[in-house]
Amino acid sequence: MKPDALRGHLDALLLATLDGRQLHGYAIIEALQQGSGGALDLPTGTVYPALRRLERAGHVTSDWSTVGGRKRRTYRLTQAGQRALQAERSAWREFTTVIDGVLGGGGKWAQT
Amino acid sequence: MGTDVIDSYVTDLGSRLQGSRKQVRDLLTETRDSLEDATEAHLGRGLTEQEAKKRAVEEFGPVREIANEYQAELAVAYGTRTLVWLAIVLPLMHMAWEYGRMLLVGPWQDLGTPTPSWYLVIAKANDMTSGAASGVALVALVLGRILARKYDTKLLAKLAASIAILAVGVVLLGNVAIIAATAHVDASRLMQSLPMSIASLITWTVIIRLGLLARRCLSCATIVA
Repeated sequence: MKPDALRGHLDALLLATLDGRQLHGYAIIEALQQGSGGALDLPTGTVYPALRRLERAGHVTSDWSTVGGRKRRTYRLTQAGQRALQAERSAWREFTTVIDGVLGGGGKWAQT
Repeated sequence: MGTDVIDSYVTDLGSRLQGSRKQVRDLLTETRDSLEDATEAHLGRGLTEQEAKKRAVEEFGPVREIANEYQAELAVAYGTRTLVWLAIVLPLMHMAWEYGRMLLVGPWQDLGTPTPSWYLVIAKANDMTSGAASGVALVALVLGRILARKYDTKLLAKLAASIAILAVGVVLLGNVAIIAATAHVDASRLMQSLPMSIASLITWTVIIRLGLLARRCLSCATIVA
């Protein structure tokens, strides 16, 4: 999937990746790639500014901690982040329902 | 032995960034961690060390593009920090100065030379500048948090820097105006009390420091392409 198409959804993808867990930067990137079956092809460096943006919005909080013997910055959702994720999920379901109603129709108008 | 590609990448990235030293250091530490993690993952997939490092750097993204995104975040963080300083320091500084003046000098009306009404207008306006500038900084901070995901980071950084420059500019103008007005009415008032002269000096030092912070804020925001 092209980076430009993903960029608009990166915040929501990151919120979903952090849902119910605390992860460091590269673990988030791996989880994103695994979750998409490797289809998400975004420069990994763009994840860090996005995490900072989410932190600035109060949706994510971070702490430096030692993970696997190395000092790492780990991220987790805040309550506001949980609410934002719920809102993103509802908006996404609504969007896909509407688009699917038109695009996924199998050309029924052509048949009438 | 050639230069380590991860070291080169992190050094190149760091040389393009401007902002709070701690923030830059944190971002670079995180970048290095990420590149080392990616290298380990690629080594596990059977690549050689050099290939794994090269792949990790390629996946991280072109340094110019990544530096630009990092810089936008650094600029907005610097802007936020400057606005916090403005919101806290300006009213405190003004209150301390006014309290000191009332204790050491007393009301303007009680001074030996008559105080014209226009002078009181300037004094009142100057009194209001710190509160107004602090209020604007506070509103900008709240809006910045609400709009963090809705607006482009580069735009928010430039707005924060502009507000900081404007706020310090207004306070500076108010202080210059009151000094010029005092000198015009009765120049001796400027040196009437040594503690107040020291307080004024501290006030100016703080204003200049805030001005330098605001200028750096603008510099951080404008190097973003």
